[in-house]
Amino acid sequence: MALLEIKDLVKRFDGRTVLNGVTFELNEGQTKVIMGPSGCGKSTLLRCLNRLLEPDGGQIFFRGEDVALPDTDIRQHRQRIGFVFQQFALYRHLTVLENITLGLRKLRRLSTAAADKKAAYQLERMEMGAHRLKYPAHLSVGQKQRVAIARALAMDPAVLFFDEPTSALDPLMSLEVAAVINQLRSENVTMLCVTHDVSLARHVTDRVIFLDDGQVKAEDSAEQLLTTHADPRIRQFFGQPAALK
Amino acid sequence: MRFSGILALLLEGAGYTLLVTVSCVITGLVTGLGIVALRRLFGKGVARLLALYTYVFRGIPVLVLLFIVFFGLPGLGIRPSPLVSMMLSLGLVCGAYLAEVFRGALDAVDPHEIIAAEVMGLSRLQVILSIEFPQMLRLAVPGMLNEFTTVLKYSPFGYTVGIPEITKQAMALASTTLRGIEIYTAVGVLYFGIYQLLCLLMRMIERKFRVPGFATQ
Ligand SMILES: Nc1ncnc2c1ncn2[C@@H]1O[C@H](COP(=O)(O)OP(=O)(O)OP(=O)(O)O)[C@@H](O)[C@H]1O
Ligand SMILES: [Mg+2]
Repeated sequence: MALLEIKDLVKRFDGRTVLNGVTFELNEGQTKVIMGPSGCGKSTLLRCLNRLLEPDGGQIFFRGEDVALPDTDIRQHRQRIGFVFQQFALYRHLTVLENITLGLRKLRRLSTAAADKKAAYQLERMEMGAHRLKYPAHLSVGQKQRVAIARALAMDPAVLFFDEPTSALDPLMSLEVAAVINQLRSENVTMLCVTHDVSLARHVTDRVIFLDDGQVKAEDSAEQLLTTHADPRIRQFFGQPAALK
Repeated sequence: MRFSGILALLLEGAGYTLLVTVSCVITGLVTGLGIVALRRLFGKGVARLLALYTYVFRGIPVLVLLFIVFFGLPGLGIRPSPLVSMMLSLGLVCGAYLAEVFRGALDAVDPHEIIAAEVMGLSRLQVILSIEFPQMLRLAVPGMLNEFTTVLKYSPFGYTVGIPEITKQAMALASTTLRGIEIYTAVGVLYFGIYQLLCLLMRMIERKFRVPGFATQ
């Protein structure tokens, strides 16, 4: 069964339709990348999926249960989704360790010791163990990204969402993030990743969803979309990503 | 009367000044934080009501409020003590100003962090207590110190309702001893000392909670 099944998702802002019947699936253990021109609604889509925004229509099945319904326990639903932001959004007043333990203590109700242990494990996994007592202000951009990923993973989410994980990074660090995502993929972590970065898309998945005009216009491997897709607009997007950014 | 005797009475007054200042500051902090929290928790209607409160309390002279509470409320059968009257006037005014200070500081909290916390599944109250307030309070240190100092400078109003704080003691002493210059100079020095104490206390608290990446003071 699909972990996530999105059917005819609609979202409007002040009468302007941004998502106009988005439909796709994400299976357990699968990684899919969502691409598309700027402003086509990629972030909006992710935000609808965890009900940060209210969809205006359609269904979002999470393990078979429609979480777009009004009576959904939104906070419970959100705890199953790990979200990694473009701006990292680390809590500035907390240390690396505290950034990760906050959710474990407040939501999972773990003791400080148990939360610390769990956080330490995730930090080691992201090779950030040595930095656990630092504050975000003292981390490099790449390190912040790793902490953000560790923070999301610590909650044992069913799926990880990434919104433009590399757009704030230089090419070398983008490769690092791609390596981290690949590592998670080999561990069968389910991921949905929004990006502009064609090389990231190629590195981490064979399933790219192309979103445009509020709909899924194509779903295929990055190679196929780039070289042989029938729609020249799509070929062009993947051939000259910079031109459309 | 020997000057040491005068000084002893003034110091006793200083104790009352401190008591009034601290009580009103605490009242102000509780109301200020309460206003900000309520504004973040509830919708437009509550926010408008709170805006009215801060607007009114910042617009009425403290002395008038104090008289309304101390001399007015007994007409309704409520008899607040002098200290409580100070808290309900000066303290609440301080709260109204602090609410504005906090609001400004809250605007400087990165909205992405707030969204990240909500996306994690934290409740609105948890986000306020774990993310918004800790950052806001650090950013608000200079503004808070400013308000606390204002409270100290308004504390002499306590004498109008019979609190024997420094200024009241000084007036009584000056009229009986005719040593006004020395007495009022001593009073000035005492206020300055209390002010420095307040600054020192704030600096200590600020240092204890200092975090890299927050520009304060
Ligand atoms: N809260 C909002 N209110 C009104 N309009 C919005 C809101 N959020 C997004 N939009 C609009 O919806 C459209 C889609 O925005 P969205 O951020 O989802 O695009 P995106 O595909 O993520 O773009 P980018 O690649 O630049 O990140 C944009 O035109 C944007 O202006
Ligand atoms: Mg976006």
